[in-house]
Amino acid sequence: MKKWSDNVMWRWLLSFFRPGKGPRINLGRRNVLTAGALGVGAACLCRVHPQASGRVFNPALIRPPGAVDEQEFLSRCIRCGECMKVCPTNAIQPAGLEAGIKGMWTPVLNMNVGYCEFDCTLCGQVCPTDAIRELPLEEKQKIKIGQSFVDKNRCLPYASARPCIVCEEHCPTPTKAIWVEEIEVTNASGQKVLVQQPHVDPELCVGCGICQNKCPIKDQSGIYVTSVGETRNSENQMLL
Amino acid sequence: MARSTRKVSAIVWLRRCIQTLCLLLFFYLFLQTAYHPINRTGGPVALFFELDPLVLAATWLAGAPVPLTLLFSLGTLGVSIFFGRWFCGWVCPLGTLHQMMTQVRGGTTASRLNRAVYSPRQRWKYLVLIGLLAGTLTGLNLIGWVDPFSLLYRSLATAIFPAFNLGSHALFAWLYESDPGLGSMRVTRVSEPVYEVLRRYLLVEGRPQYYWGILIGLVFGGILVLNLWRHRFWCRYICPLGALLGLAGKNPLLRLKKDQEACNDCRLCVAVCPAGANPDGPSDRSDAWKPAECFFCWNCESVCPKQAISFEFAVPSREHS
Amino acid sequence: MTDLSRRVFLKQVALAGAGLQAGLLSPGLASASTAPKMSIAKYRTSPAESEGVAEEAARLTRQVIKDLGGMSRFVSKGDVVWVKPNIAWDRTPEQAGNTNPDVVATVIRMCYEAGAKQVMVGDNPCNAAERTYPNSRIQPAGEKAGARVVQLDKRKFKKMALNGKALKDWEMYTDMMEVDTFINVPIAKHHGLAGATLGMKNLMGVCGGSRNRFHQDLTNVLPDLAAFVKPKLIILDGIRVLPVNGPRGGNLDDVKRKDTMVAGVDQVAIDAFGATLLGMEPKKIAHIVEAANRGLGTMDYTSLSPAESLV
Repeated sequence: MKKWSDNVMWRWLLSFFRPGKGPRINLGRRNVLTAGALGVGAACLCRVHPQASGRVFNPALIRPPGAVDEQEFLSRCIRCGECMKVCPTNAIQPAGLEAGIKGMWTPVLNMNVGYCEFDCTLCGQVCPTDAIRELPLEEKQKIKIGQSFVDKNRCLPYASARPCIVCEEHCPTPTKAIWVEEIEVTNASGQKVLVQQPHVDPELCVGCGICQNKCPIKDQSGIYVTSVGETRNSENQMLL
Repeated sequence: MARSTRKVSAIVWLRRCIQTLCLLLFFYLFLQTAYHPINRTGGPVALFFELDPLVLAATWLAGAPVPLTLLFSLGTLGVSIFFGRWFCGWVCPLGTLHQMMTQVRGGTTASRLNRAVYSPRQRWKYLVLIGLLAGTLTGLNLIGWVDPFSLLYRSLATAIFPAFNLGSHALFAWLYESDPGLGSMRVTRVSEPVYEVLRRYLLVEGRPQYYWGILIGLVFGGILVLNLWRHRFWCRYICPLGALLGLAGKNPLLRLKKDQEACNDCRLCVAVCPAGANPDGPSDRSDAWKPAECFFCWNCESVCPKQAISFEFAVPSREHS
Repeated sequence: MTDLSRRVFLKQVALAGAGLQAGLLSPGLASASTAPKMSIAKYRTSPAESEGVAEEAARLTRQVIKDLGGMSRFVSKGDVVWVKPNIAWDRTPEQAGNTNPDVVATVIRMCYEAGAKQVMVGDNPCNAAERTYPNSRIQPAGEKAGARVVQLDKRKFKKMALNGKALKDWEMYTDMMEVDTFINVPIAKHHGLAGATLGMKNLMGVCGGSRNRFHQDLTNVLPDLAAFVKPKLIILDGIRVLPVNGPRGGNLDDVKRKDTMVAGVDQVAIDAFGATLLGMEPKKIAHIVEAANRGLGTMDYTSLSPAESLV
C-alpha cells in the first residue's frame, strides 16, 4: 500500500525545506554582492543631478496629464511605450535627457510634434503601473501640464503687424485661455492697421500645447509651452 | 529545429501554436492601443504587463501603490513554481521572436551544439535581476529598460511599427505617383484596393514618428541578431523576468527524466535546446538538467532518437544535490 | 507636384458646356435662368434635442432644395458627387461645431435620388479625422445614407494654380476638384478673425498644406478659394448656430437655435444671409465684401428674390 508520505505533491512541498539538498542556482556570493552594490551605487550616483531633488526644473519636461509627482513617476514608469503608442496626436515621445539619464525613454510631450487633445484621457487608461493615472475626463481637463507663453519677438501680430490668432482659434478650454487685444500698429508700409495680439491667461491655460502646435511659425513657434505651473508639482509654480 | 526524420511530437506542435497565438495576441493588443470613438482603446491593451511579475516587483519595491490589475502576475509566478519557466517557453512573445530568430540559422548538430550548450555565463541574468532590484529599492527603477515586455512594446511602438507604417505609405504613394503598368493593366488597380484595406485595419494615418526611435530599433535588432550567435541569447543571459521565473521555478514539480541506458550520447537534445538547460545531463551529477533554465519546450523529448527523455511529475531524489 | 489648373479648368469648361447642352435638351432645365438662385426655409417650431432636430434637419433640407428646383438641377444621372460638410472639430452635433449630420445624410439621399452614381463625403479637418468623423456623427450618418465617407488621402493633395490675389498656388484635394458636382454644406459660426465662418470659409477644407498661414490675409484668401472651387450648390446649416466663441465652440450655452436653412448658387449671398443669422452685418465681414467686389456674387440677397418657406 502506498504511504501517504510517498505522495509526489507532499514530497515536492517538503523538498523546498530540506537544507542543502534543495536545488540551487550557484551565483557566487561575491557576484551577488557586486551586482547589488552596483545597483545601489547607481541609485546614489543618480541623485547627483540637480533635477533629482527638485532644485531646478526642466522646461521641456512636460509629462502627460495624470502623471504623478516626478520622483514617484520615475519609480513607477516602466518605459513600456503604451502611452506613446496610444497618444492620438503623437505628442508623447521618449525622453532624451530632459529628466536626466535615469529618465531616458520615459514619456514627455513634444508640442512641436503633437499636442494634448483636450477631450482625451487615453494615456492614463493604458498605463500599466499608474505612473499616469486614469482620470475621468472632467478631472483631466482641469489638470495643468504646463504653461504657454507668447514669444512677442516672433508672434506675427506683435513682431510684424500681420493678423493671425490661430492660437486663439484652437484654444480648447471652455473659456479660452488665450484672449486677444485689438491694437492699432504701424505696418511695414507705414500704414496704421488693427491687429489682434494674443495674451495667455495663466489661470485658465492647461498647457495642452495646441497653440504651439498650430502656430504658423513652423520652426520655432510664436507661442510655446513650458513645464512651469504643472498641477502635479507644487514646487514648479509661478503664480501666487 | 532538428533535421531528424522523426516526426515532431504533438506537444511541440501545441507549444508552437500557443507561442504563435500569444505573439499574435501581443501584436493585436498593440494595434488596438489607439483611439476608438469615444475616448477609449480597443480592449485590455496592457494585458501582458498585468501578467508580468517583474513589473509587479518593480512597482512594489519602488514603494509605489500597486495597481490591482498587476496582481494577476502572481498567477504567473504561482504557476512557475509548479512548472518552472513554462512562461518563457510557451507564452512570452519576445521569447517567441528569439526562438524564431534562433531557427534562422540551421547547420549540423555539431555547429548548433556550440550555440546551444549551457554556459556558466547564464548566471548573468540573475545578477542583472539583483542589480535592478537593488537599484529599485534605493530609488533608481531601471527595470523598464530591461523588462522583456517593455523592451518589445517600446521597440514596436517607437521603431518597428512606425517604420512599417511609414514605409507602406511611401510605397503606395510611389505607386500612385509613378503609376507603373502595361497599357491598360496598371498596378494601381490592385494596389489601391489593397491600400484601402490596409488603411482601414492596419496602417495609421497620423504617421507617428518618434525621437530616439532609430536607436531603439537598432538596439532591438541587435538583440535579435545575437540569437544567431547563441540560442535565445537574451533569454539566457540577460532577461530579468526569466531570472525571476527561474528563481521561482528552480524546483518544479514537472521534471525531465533521462533513461541513462537508452541514451546514445548523440547530443541532439542539447543541439535543439533553446535554454541551455543541459537536457543530456545525467541526473546524479552537478551538470545535471537545470530546471531553472529549462523552458519546458519539449524539443529534447521530441528529437531524441532513442526516446530516452521524458517529463514527469517527480521530486528530486535524495541522492543528488 | 503637378500643376493641375489646366485639368481643372478643362473640367469646369466641360461642366459649363454640359450644363448648356442639358439646358437645350431638357425642358426642365431650359428655364434654368428663371429658377430661384436662393431659397430659405424656416421651421415653425424648435423641437427638443436629438430626435426632433433630426426630423427637422431632414425636412428643412428637402424643402430648401425643392424650392431651388430639385436636386436634379445640380446632379445629373451618373454623376460623381462630393458633399463637403464641415467636419473640422472634435465636437458633437449639439455643440454646433460641425455641420448637422442629418442635413448631410439628407443631401446624400437626395443626390442618389437624382441619379448620382456615387456620393463621397469628406473634409480636411482641424482636429484628427479619427475623432471628428465619428464624434460629429457625420461618418455614421453618411455611411447609413449610402455615401462613401472618405478620410482624406495625403497623396491626393496636388499643387494647383489658383492665381488669386493672396494665393498664387496651393495644394488642393484632387478628388474634390475632379468630381462632377461639388456641394458645399457649411454651418454658420462666429470666427474670431474672419467675423464669421460660413460657406467660403468652409472651402478651406479642400486645401492641404499649412492652412494656418491663411489667417494673415483671410480677406483675400477666402474669395480666392471661392473663385477657384466654385461649388455648384451651397446648403447652409442654420439649425444650430454658434454666434460667439466660434469656430471651435464647446460650450452648449453658446449654441443658439435658429431652425433655418438656406441654399443657393450665389456664394456671397448665402454667406451674407448666414451672417444675419449670427446677428452680424454682412458689410462688416471683410471677406464677404471683397468677394462681392470681385463679382463672385451679391451681398444684397433680397435682390435675388429668394424662395421662402415655412415648414
